[in-house]
Amino acid sequence: MSLSDRSVPRPLDPPGSLPRSLDNAPDGILASRAADGDPRAFEVLVRRHGPLMRAYATRMMGGTSESDDIVQESFIVAWEQLPTLKDGNSVRAWLMRIASRKAIDRIRLRKNDEPLHDWDAEAPTSQSPAHRVEVASQRERLTQALAGLTPTQRQSWLLREVGGHSYEEIGEQLSIPPSTVRGLLARARRKLVEEMEGWR
Amino acid sequence: MTSSDDTPDRSVDRSGSEPEVTNDSGDLIEVLNDYLDRGEDPPRELLDGSPDHQLTLDALVRFRRLTRELLADDVAAEPARDDGWVATILANIHSESRAGRSIPLAHPSSIADLSISEGAVRGLVRAAGDAVSGTLIGACRLEGDVTEPGSPITVAVEASVFWGERIRATADHIRTAIESALLLHTELNIVAVDVTVTDVHLRRTGQENS
Repeated sequence: MSLSDRSVPRPLDPPGSLPRSLDNAPDGILASRAADGDPRAFEVLVRRHGPLMRAYATRMMGGTSESDDIVQESFIVAWEQLPTLKDGNSVRAWLMRIASRKAIDRIRLRKNDEPLHDWDAEAPTSQSPAHRVEVASQRERLTQALAGLTPTQRQSWLLREVGGHSYEEIGEQLSIPPSTVRGLLARARRKLVEEMEGWR
Repeated sequence: MTSSDDTPDRSVDRSGSEPEVTNDSGDLIEVLNDYLDRGEDPPRELLDGSPDHQLTLDALVRFRRLTRELLADDVAAEPARDDGWVATILANIHSESRAGRSIPLAHPSSIADLSISEGAVRGLVRAAGDAVSGTLIGACRLEGDVTEPGSPITVAVEASVFWGERIRATADHIRTAIESALLLHTELNIVAVDVTVTDVHLRRTGQENS
């Protein structure tokens, strides 16, 4: 190409690795390319958003054991459905929604498989004592406060505050009426705010 | 009753359906939360009604923010992992689903049946456009009947241009590069290459979860 290079020089791509430039691509460009069938663009989306989806799944499920499966299933669905995504720039929120659905599917399965167990009672994965001392106390307290919610309250809270779902969507996913979702979230908020009283 | 007795007068009375002792504070939280959900500031009179009201609002705002930050922190705290999880995902996706139409290629032998997939042509277009300095090709469409040899075809691409590039000149370079590549590798009768610059991108830093 004869275009004069005023900007940052284009780094050479080592064979077999991703071109650096694709790493810099906006989500919309990557989503369009992946929708057109470019697996490299899809790989950048996986690396960019996979870790957050995994963290979300871990918080939803109350542990890491199924997070990788949820992320994997989510991306496989995403690849199939990307051509239907209207606005590629909203791909992150869209991916989080898919992850929500996949997590909910598994929560439903758990309920069916283990009706006698208090399947949700486990707290989010605990960390080593040394690490626990180091982390910001607010984060630790929030983790504890969230662990104090019932599983359905916690999931509703995450779907609402992190997943950005409407009451109707949460109701659909959890198979409960939106009015019940409103009630669940109201009780979750009340508990969390009460918890905060001790922080001041 | 631990909370103030000031009942926010605009709230729906839910006391009938939920006879709990924390009813007033619960209603207050919901009223405040509804304001936050709408992206509005609660009215001053409501907050000044009782010191509890402002404290409750602060707690609510803080918790909503912390919940979002919690996940970003989780990501940051995650130890580095090998690439196995990415490889597993990529091994399970199939490009065949994006092959699109089959584009015939001429061959001297009458019994040979050569073709190239639309998906492969899009790949050519992307590679040609990406090779132009500072550009990345996004969506690519082949408009026209590509299955009929000689049909007039328009290529429509979207592109992102690196910050600082001259957009018009860069679009011209993209157009030329795509035309040359298609002339070399296909027999399509390209009548136009439309380039729409949809984005301007910057070099991304390591921090993705803003």
